Amino acid sequence: MIKKSSLIIATSFGLLVSLGAYAGPKEDFQQVYSEAESTNQNAGTFKWTVTSDRLKAARSAADSGDYGKAKTMATEARNLAQESVAQRKQQAEVWRNVAIGN
Amino acid sequence: MLKSKVILVALAASLAVPQVLAGSTPEEDRKETVAYFRQKFPDVPLKEFVNGQYALDEDRRSQWESLQDFPPYEFAVAEGQEMFETPFANGKSYASCFENGGIGIRQNYPNFDTEKKEVITLELAINRCRETNGEKPLKYKKGDIASISAYMASTSKGKAFDIKVPDEPAALAAYQDGKEFYYSRRGQLNFSCAGCHVQNPGNWIRADLLSPTLGQPANFPVHRSKWGELGTLHRRFAGCNNNVRAEPLPAQSEEYRNLEYFLTYMSNGLPVVGPTTRP
Repeated sequence: MIKKSSLIIATSFGLLVSLGAYAGPKEDFQQVYSEAESTNQNAGTFKWTVTSDRLKAARSAADSGDYGKAKTMATEARNLAQESVAQRKQQAEVWRNVAIGN
Repeated sequence: MLKSKVILVALAASLAVPQVLAGSTPEEDRKETVAYFRQKFPDVPLKEFVNGQYALDEDRRSQWESLQDFPPYEFAVAEGQEMFETPFANGKSYASCFENGGIGIRQNYPNFDTEKKEVITLELAINRCRETNGEKPLKYKKGDIASISAYMASTSKGKAFDIKVPDEPAALAAYQDGKEFYYSRRGQLNFSCAGCHVQNPGNWIRADLLSPTLGQPANFPVHRSKWGELGTLHRRFAGCNNNVRAEPLPAQSEEYRNLEYFLTYMSNGLPVVGPTTRP
């Protein structure tokens, strides 16, 4: 026979674990989303429309509680933002190679 | 052995540095650009470049010429004239803000304000005039701003563009900034303005025939069939950026004004033909 106190302890422990598991996806999403936003800002005038679309989709999914989808969208946004930053840096060096009058 | 290597490296560096630092002047750029397009399209008279794709394709040109019998922008130009001539609430009018009363001056825009250190486009000048006289500014891409700008452009039809880039650092920097924008690839599709209009004019991109850089701003504001109305040059900049999945910048942002500055300078000597029509 299980003691009542043991049952209470086990139930409480289970609740704590499940609460910890629930907080994870939201935090994960927020971290990736922040990285995506700051990387996108770093693109300056070289931002891509597809990056903004993914950020909006991520925010929308997060607002409706679908943190799995939100994180996926935020990850895609971060990757696209990184590519746009790389484009900005590369173009600063190479645009002259194709310009008339250089 | 090491000493001779060091000397060789130093010599190479001294030869490379002037090339890196040396830049062409706006006028040198313009002449080279004209030479480039004349070589690319030897049968096109220089002044015809302001007609863009219609200078390159006979079939499209004949359709366009038919459309000029009843230009779709005429009503907008008439409305623009009415707005231009209607006094503000304070009794003054647009004429008070521009040289020659705003008539026959389109070919001088954009210009560089050496006091404020910025490029002033015609549309920006129109709104600054409104704000100075207590009126709300107009939105920059279409509607009343396009109609007023179109009317002012119509009073300059045939006049040669005469854009000036003063020999002072801020003006040259604005010009260079515009030039860099024009030649930089952007957007997920990785296109630059030059990729289409310098490297591929006369070629098709889907159902559009690409126009050359030379003469491009001369026909603005433009009535595009796609828009069903007049639109400004910055509306077109934003549309093109969006097409290549680059986030469009705000109309009349510093970057777009500098871009217009560079682009219009390239058309110096060519006639104002705006407003006109395009697909």
